[in-house]
Amino acid sequence: MKRRELLRAGMFGGAAAALTPALAAAQTKAAENADEKSELTPAQRGVDASNELKGANWKPLFLDEHQNETLIILSDLIIPATDTPGAKEALVNRYIDLVMAAETHENQKAFLGNLAYIDGESMRLYKNAFRYLSREDQDDLLHTMAYSNSGSTWTGEGSSADVGHTNFEQLKTHIGVAYYNSPIGTKELGWDGAYSHGVYQGCAHSDGSHK
Amino acid sequence: MSFAYSDQDPLKQTYDAIVVGSGATGGWAAKQLSEAGLKVALLEAGRAITPTEFTEHTPAYQLKYRDHDPEISRTRPIQKQCYACMEYNYTWFVNDLENPYSTPADKPFTWQRLRVLGGRSLVWGRQSYRLSDNDFKAASRDGYGDDWPISYAELSPWYDIVEKYVGITGAAEGNEMLPDGQFLPPMKMSCGEVLLRDRVKAKFNRTVTIGRAAVLTQPHNGRNACHYCGPCERGCRTFSYFSSPFTTVADAQNSGNCTLITNAVVAHVNMDNATNKASGVTYVDRLTREVKEVRGKTVILCAQALESTRILLNSSTREYPNGLANASGALGHYLMDHVVGGGAGGELPNMNEKPNANEPDRPNGIYIPRFRNAPSTKKSSQFIRGYGYQGSGGAVFNFGAEGYGATFKKAVKDGSYQIGLGAFGESLARWDNYIEIDKSLKDAWGIPALRISMTHGDNEKVLMEDAAAQAAEMLEAAGAKNIKVQARTEMPGMAIHELGTARMGNDPKKSVLTPFNQTHDVKNLFVMDGASFVSSACQNPTLTMMAITVRGCSHLIERFKTNDV
Repeated sequence: MKRRELLRAGMFGGAAAALTPALAAAQTKAAENADEKSELTPAQRGVDASNELKGANWKPLFLDEHQNETLIILSDLIIPATDTPGAKEALVNRYIDLVMAAETHENQKAFLGNLAYIDGESMRLYKNAFRYLSREDQDDLLHTMAYSNSGSTWTGEGSSADVGHTNFEQLKTHIGVAYYNSPIGTKELGWDGAYSHGVYQGCAHSDGSHK
Repeated sequence: MSFAYSDQDPLKQTYDAIVVGSGATGGWAAKQLSEAGLKVALLEAGRAITPTEFTEHTPAYQLKYRDHDPEISRTRPIQKQCYACMEYNYTWFVNDLENPYSTPADKPFTWQRLRVLGGRSLVWGRQSYRLSDNDFKAASRDGYGDDWPISYAELSPWYDIVEKYVGITGAAEGNEMLPDGQFLPPMKMSCGEVLLRDRVKAKFNRTVTIGRAAVLTQPHNGRNACHYCGPCERGCRTFSYFSSPFTTVADAQNSGNCTLITNAVVAHVNMDNATNKASGVTYVDRLTREVKEVRGKTVILCAQALESTRILLNSSTREYPNGLANASGALGHYLMDHVVGGGAGGELPNMNEKPNANEPDRPNGIYIPRFRNAPSTKKSSQFIRGYGYQGSGGAVFNFGAEGYGATFKKAVKDGSYQIGLGAFGESLARWDNYIEIDKSLKDAWGIPALRISMTHGDNEKVLMEDAAAQAAEMLEAAGAKNIKVQARTEMPGMAIHELGTARMGNDPKKSVLTPFNQTHDVKNLFVMDGASFVSSACQNPTLTMMAITVRGCSHLIERFKTNDV
């Protein structure tokens, strides 16, 4: 068995068994008050919400059908499936809908504004809503917003706020947060599900190696 | 030493000592006094806690909002400014709507508070540094403010006791500004940190050391070594970082001499005016709103600097109309909080390392001790005192990568090797930084709330500008590219190192506390937390707060032995 496997297998169960009587017992007894238990966060109560968005009969709480479909397409373009699943498979639209349903009116308005901006540009340039464009046109439109033009002076226009880029980045942030905190996104970053991977080893090079 | 104690109704006893607050210092006070045989009532404003509610191993996707719950911003808009207030654990932090305070419009202050057994020791940053006589006697060196009434030599043995019990990982450096202590084996540095350390030593003759942290690198006092899972602020099932509920408070309870009373929101200290002694405290039950009283021979406030002073300000009597133990008029004044906002970050090319979510997550960084205005360095003409840096270097995911699509996805995963330094600067003790009672504002338990008036001054601003420039120079020396400099002065409170407001001193006309944390005015009343600091230094203060508490309690135990309380 490798060192890491040894650690995973033995370290934590042994520690808990050894420590609970000595250090934790008094606090366990003190925390039996029902009113206090109700103050625990869902996470502290052990609630696992990871499957809540997977239902076959899922319906949006906040987004309308058009907004939801637009968001699905956008998320698929921004974080597509490659050799690993992308944002569409991670159901980021459902997560964003859940968060937005609980958000302040101001933040809801800002998010819908981001989506509406994409559609507005689509209508202006292609005379059609974003979701109905061909994949190629959707990609072209996103490309005009994905890279900042502010600060560029080669056209002689000088520096100015890049509204399209700002809207794009705000949407991308929502989608990125949703994806990289999802089970699929966490796996994308390489996490194997174990909460510990041994002792931090740091720099293993000999003294003076880094020059 | 027990007098009227029995195992019956805890409110019908007269305790030897009432300790208010169960955090880093309250836990120590309860442990030390109860283990000496004194009968102790330990009052905590929040609820009890168990290890089963720790969530350090819970992935974000198991949370309904994946740690982005909008509700937290509604009930805890101030607490949310602290990274540690999360969807995982936000109920440890106070509800800001129930716990208001006010500030002048032009003097914002963020006040982070926990009400739960252990208080902020559950979520603290764990960095643990000694102060030196360059701090305790700074006024004698540069003429600003007042010296502490104690020296490093006096406090050093108490630092030893605390460090040996708590378990501090760190490396001895022999640095003139940062005394070495009783260390467990140091954690390792990353390649980038080693590079920075060597280049900074060679070019600037400055010390870059691994952080000194209250995290175990080997089994210690019945607790297990750190398993490097990362998010200590959500709790630790192996008790590998120091928090009071599972160390000092547990010891106090196991002594058989400590009665823990949770949900006790202390309103004021009660006085026996005939003898000029404290007779106990009055508290409001957090859950039932019932008003209750606990009697004691001594009262020790360990509620956190601002809360302890708030209790004293709310304990006015005819004899002490401006706050209990405030004959000096200094109570509430000289509020400090380390200035932050200066630093720099950059990219280290050629490190050939990619981020990996399966790597052990070190709950510690690097530290650069203060080098400005040190005995062996040139005195600055721009500012007095100085700053230290905390930082880290390593490969991180590049969530801010440009563009979209498959290239974006790959760029996130490839990451980049980043290194950064952020300064913590000394906050000068100034009379005009103060707290008082806001007579128009009460908390949810009817207890008058604080009005906090604090700004950072010109010295703090220049410190952060210098810290930013020096950080950039050191990173450049290490070969960093795309260096971004930040020279802000963040609002007070952001360091979460509130200090002062009941300073210690030898002169009762200028200070609130004696060098043993006893109030000058009321013989059996003590304040043992950061309120007692005379100056802030620039090192993280909790270790010093604990050492001062152990020293003060030891003195109190001796006085009990001679019946001099």
